[in-house]
Amino acid sequence: MSSSAHTALPVRRRLYRGVRGLVVVTLTGVVVAGFLGTIPQLDILEQSARNLYFHVPMWFSLMAATVVSAYHSARYLRSGARVRDLRAREAARIALIFGGLGIVTGMVWARFTWYEGTGVWWNFDPKQSMAAVLLLIYGGYFVLRDAIDAPKDRGRIAAVYNLFAVVTMPFLLYILPRQMPSLHPGGEGSPAFSQTDLAPAMRWVFYPSVLAFLGLAWLLYTQRVRLAWLREAVRAPDGAPEPEPAPHR
Amino acid sequence: MTIHPLRPDAPAPRPAQERPDTAAAYDSTWAEQPVEQAPEGLDRLMGQGGKIYVVLAVVLLIWIGLVTVLFRTDRKIDRLERRLDRDIPKDE
Repeated sequence: MSSSAHTALPVRRRLYRGVRGLVVVTLTGVVVAGFLGTIPQLDILEQSARNLYFHVPMWFSLMAATVVSAYHSARYLRSGARVRDLRAREAARIALIFGGLGIVTGMVWARFTWYEGTGVWWNFDPKQSMAAVLLLIYGGYFVLRDAIDAPKDRGRIAAVYNLFAVVTMPFLLYILPRQMPSLHPGGEGSPAFSQTDLAPAMRWVFYPSVLAFLGLAWLLYTQRVRLAWLREAVRAPDGAPEPEPAPHR
Repeated sequence: MTIHPLRPDAPAPRPAQERPDTAAAYDSTWAEQPVEQAPEGLDRLMGQGGKIYVVLAVVLLIWIGLVTVLFRTDRKIDRLERRLDRDIPKDE
């Protein structure tokens, strides 16, 4: 290979810029339509039903990020390529960020609907508790990583842990909460394909919102991977020469 | 806004009425304001629908700020990558 331009992680720039433009336009439209669009007037929910546009995509983004993270962990176990470990780590980080936002927005929403007038912020609803357990499992991933110093061991052990972690995701978010009485909507039947759970007018905001937040998660993930890769390059990567001191400093 | 000071020559309020009158003095100030005119321009637009547009404007401003951070971070990463590519030639 030539002696230049191989420090940076190869990124499909046109794809990245395209997604970035789409995300900015779509999310701006989602915010405007989310505030001003008409929604069904329901008791208890009232105007808070608009939270659907913002709260639910957090969880879809978390799910996508955990799957991406597990995919790269599996690839890391096969190839041992450093970049796979970095990708797995950064995807898990994005999953934690979106999951944290999801659980906090869910708490605020529940406080003023399910628990209105009671002052209760957290009542161990199965859906909330299981989501919290999932976040703890992914928090454990980072604790585990920090506990191991040797990069190869750290990558391998964390990757195995990550594969177990992603298996718990559908159980903790979907299967277990459905086996228990929960106040969270979407517990019965198949909400994704139901014709009655979501008003038609809201679908035109909700689906673009989900796609746009997924895109936003991907943008943030790509940024973080590029930064992590740069940091590796600065710290003298395996097989590469020591970085030369900068000429002017 | 017209200000209505208590006239010095006005008879002193009776002690029994002193308490309610302290509020009444302010009431008259508000009551004698000119009839409220229909809001115009920006005020009319932003005042509609329980001022939901004000919330929308705030959220949009925050969103614009976050997008700016996103773009600026992208630019910084681009620059860092270019600089590192120049400074650390990697022969493989």
